[in-house]
Amino acid sequence: MSRLFDFAGGVGMGYSQPDTLMPKESVSLPASLIRKELPRWPRLSEPEMVRHYTWLSRRNFGIDTGFYPLGSCTMKHNPRVNEVIAQIPGIAQIHPHQPEHHLQGLLSIFHEMQHMLEICSGMDQVTLQPVAGAQGEFTAVRCVQEYFRKRGEDQRTKVIVPDSAHGTNPASAAMAGFEIVEIPSLEDGRIDIDALRAVVDDTVALMMVTNPNTLGLFENDISQASEIIHSVGGQMYYDGANFNAILGRTSPGLMGFDAVHFNLHKTFSQPHGGGGPGSGPIGVKSHLAEFLPGPIVKKRPIASGHENFAVDDMWYGWYQPANSIGKVQQWHGNSGAVIRCWAYYRRYGYGLKDMSEHAVLNANYLRHALHREAQKAGVTDMFVDGATTKVAKHEFTLSLLPAKEKYGISAMDVAKGLLDKGYMAPTVYFPLVVPECMMFEPTETESRDTLDKFAKEFIEVLQQDAEILHEAPITTPVRRVDEVYAARNLCLRHPFDE
Amino acid sequence: MVDQLPNRGLELEMLQEMGMSSIDDLFDDIPVGVRMNEPLPLPPPQSEEEIIADARRLLGANLAMSEVVSFLGAGLYRNYVPASVFQLITRGEFLTSYTPYQPEVSQGMLQAMWEFQTLISELVGLPISNLSLYDGSTAAAEALTCAVRVHNRKAEQKDTVYVSELTPPDKISVMKNYCQGAGITIKFIKHNSDGSIDLSSAQQAAGSCGVYVEQPNPLGLLDGGYPQLKEIIGDKTALIVGIQPISLGLVEAPGHYGADIVVGEGQPLGSPITAGGPIYGIFACSKTYLRLMPGRIAGKSIDVDGQEAYCLTLSTREQHIRRHRATSNICTNETLIALMGAMHMSLLGPEGLNHLALRNITACNLAKQKLSEINTIALPHLQGTHFNEFIVELPSSAADCLDYLDGIGIIGGFDASRWYPERKNWLLVTVTDQTSAKEIELLAAHIAAWSVGVSA
Repeated sequence: MSRLFDFAGGVGMGYSQPDTLMPKESVSLPASLIRKELPRWPRLSEPEMVRHYTWLSRRNFGIDTGFYPLGSCTMKHNPRVNEVIAQIPGIAQIHPHQPEHHLQGLLSIFHEMQHMLEICSGMDQVTLQPVAGAQGEFTAVRCVQEYFRKRGEDQRTKVIVPDSAHGTNPASAAMAGFEIVEIPSLEDGRIDIDALRAVVDDTVALMMVTNPNTLGLFENDISQASEIIHSVGGQMYYDGANFNAILGRTSPGLMGFDAVHFNLHKTFSQPHGGGGPGSGPIGVKSHLAEFLPGPIVKKRPIASGHENFAVDDMWYGWYQPANSIGKVQQWHGNSGAVIRCWAYYRRYGYGLKDMSEHAVLNANYLRHALHREAQKAGVTDMFVDGATTKVAKHEFTLSLLPAKEKYGISAMDVAKGLLDKGYMAPTVYFPLVVPECMMFEPTETESRDTLDKFAKEFIEVLQQDAEILHEAPITTPVRRVDEVYAARNLCLRHPFDE
Repeated sequence: MVDQLPNRGLELEMLQEMGMSSIDDLFDDIPVGVRMNEPLPLPPPQSEEEIIADARRLLGANLAMSEVVSFLGAGLYRNYVPASVFQLITRGEFLTSYTPYQPEVSQGMLQAMWEFQTLISELVGLPISNLSLYDGSTAAAEALTCAVRVHNRKAEQKDTVYVSELTPPDKISVMKNYCQGAGITIKFIKHNSDGSIDLSSAQQAAGSCGVYVEQPNPLGLLDGGYPQLKEIIGDKTALIVGIQPISLGLVEAPGHYGADIVVGEGQPLGSPITAGGPIYGIFACSKTYLRLMPGRIAGKSIDVDGQEAYCLTLSTREQHIRRHRATSNICTNETLIALMGAMHMSLLGPEGLNHLALRNITACNLAKQKLSEINTIALPHLQGTHFNEFIVELPSSAADCLDYLDGIGIIGGFDASRWYPERKNWLLVTVTDQTSAKEIELLAAHIAAWSVGVSA
């Protein structure tokens, strides 16, 4: 083990700093504010620090380590040129309060991204400010709330979400003050149109839908759902978590949605580094645009005297929507993530359609390969499709319920068995509507060989004895971690000598 | 042609194996009425070389703060992040990992985040820290809603929080968005003309759910009155202090003078400014708030063999389990940037942090001294103690002065009338560890020249 708080080396060994501009003795603070004891931080030299974090990194699994079919998370390859671009001083060393004429290149990129997202989603106006998907949801819900307030429709207190929705949907709507109405899905995981009809009236503000849904199925009744909601005066919200499946094939605008968020880090790749950062821009139809958080970038003619600062024949300036909800982050959102995603988008251009097609091709191929290998090995009795459908979109689910009932092998056992094979496990136990669920999302950046090899090894895991699988993983840095112990014996920081 | 698709050219073989003949077969579940039939009206794909050339041209047209003399801060600060931090953060095992849902293969990130929690806990003087929120403003906003969840039942002023009137409007805007859904009223605490908090105004916050103040405050002042705040507002009201983390190398940790929750922009520790994101929000608190706080938390545990192991814990507060009853909707956070923070803190050590704080405050004192020698301008809070920024009152508008300085290639500071509209002539000058004596001389000389010009 390498433990950070075991390092207690010499003072100032980590990195030396220049002297202060005036003698330290000249500093005087109010007595009540003088810090009496410095934080008990470790003292490391640079070589020790580099080794510690390198050691830690080797105990962590990323896409670079191996196949990462974590459903719902779109773990695609992150092109490294994006990281190089994000370190250019013209983004890394930019302050959001700098004037427009310092930022023409940056604002032109923001404008290009707004425009591209508008085209792909069929929305009229995009803001890049929200910094994560959940924040995008919250922002859009707030815009819809203000839209109805302005119209005097204060009775609209409800937000409808299918029971298969991501947890962030109900959480974001509740944070904005809405009452949540959860509707059950059909047996195949799709929206139950009759159940929807039964709950709509003029108290509904919004319905939140993920399409393809969290089972990887396209909601083919989506136009009908939009019509039902619009017929009672409600709004339709598109959770863009699964946008990677449909670019260039359909759009939220075509499906009748009024607002959408994009998980830029998923669809356009921003390394997710252990849980963040992300970026969650939203797009809306024109009737909601006046409520968006500002500022937003708009083009206008170049004012005379400013020609030298321009990057093309137009000026890129900040614009504040008339009835803006205000801000959801103090600055301009996760600009560094937007830049990386811009570089990613430029790699594809109109070929974004190819990206989605390959994502869907790979998901369907993996689903096929898993059934194929199960057949070859004679273990078709161990799992069933989470949804019986001819094609999936960018992800799909399997239910391991048969394996659980017949052999005592749970989805969690299989997940841990896959870790021993050198894979990240698929998402388990989500969506909740599929029992013993495993959710696979290979993404478009995996080769057929990888998919074939994974399918084979997945079946090998299933063929192991239950007792052996209960012990998995055995080759990982630690074995099954006791999460109950962690919750009952809370240790949330180094205890020092306390 | 797009070069990121390993199965390009294999499409037909793969389809045929599945009994299909065309990519269209994979999309025939999309109803005809909602299909996009035209190609996306976007430009063609680019090669890596073309993209980087465009990026250099466009981003190169921006004026980077590292390329000019800059006194702009106001919440985000020029800093130096050691080279090893940038090198290590590109380790693919860190960079390309997701949320550590499978702890057995995520021990590196989990342990690093548990260590981050400890580093922050020590920094601010409170026992609990989460793995980061989006930024300082969302951390402050979440602190307010958290305070209401914890204290509302016994509060005399129900659903009410108090915020320093100096808080930047953009931050207040975020707070309002986060608070309105829970029906929380935000009231304001006044400050005296010397910039210090009006303790009698703070008295009115007693019995509310929480009080938010910043140390140093938005005018750059360190407020010696804060240690009295907890006693004034009482046990049933959360004292929330927004901090600049570097200052805590010199200034008392708020947890040691009664703060219940400490939040702040982590950026100066480990992250370039990056136009305001991705950065990371610090959120730390006392045990009272633990079960109702937002964000992910790493805990130390054991594996089945009894070995030391780490995992996410107390997840039942979070949206993926608690759904609409979650303490926050946050899912994605800023772990990678927090990791850069942890690396920077590890290298600094306690004395390095102290020295970094001293570099800020001495540079600030030098700038105050130089600017106070100019008799055409004034420093309204000259007698106060500033950490790394201070207000200069100009003979004409700050906007004019900034334009003038910009013409010379100096970013002169922040036009404080963007926060306080009646203060047209207030310029917020920020001086960090990255500012040289020569740059301070340059600023003083040019502000003097400008102010003589406008005063004449």
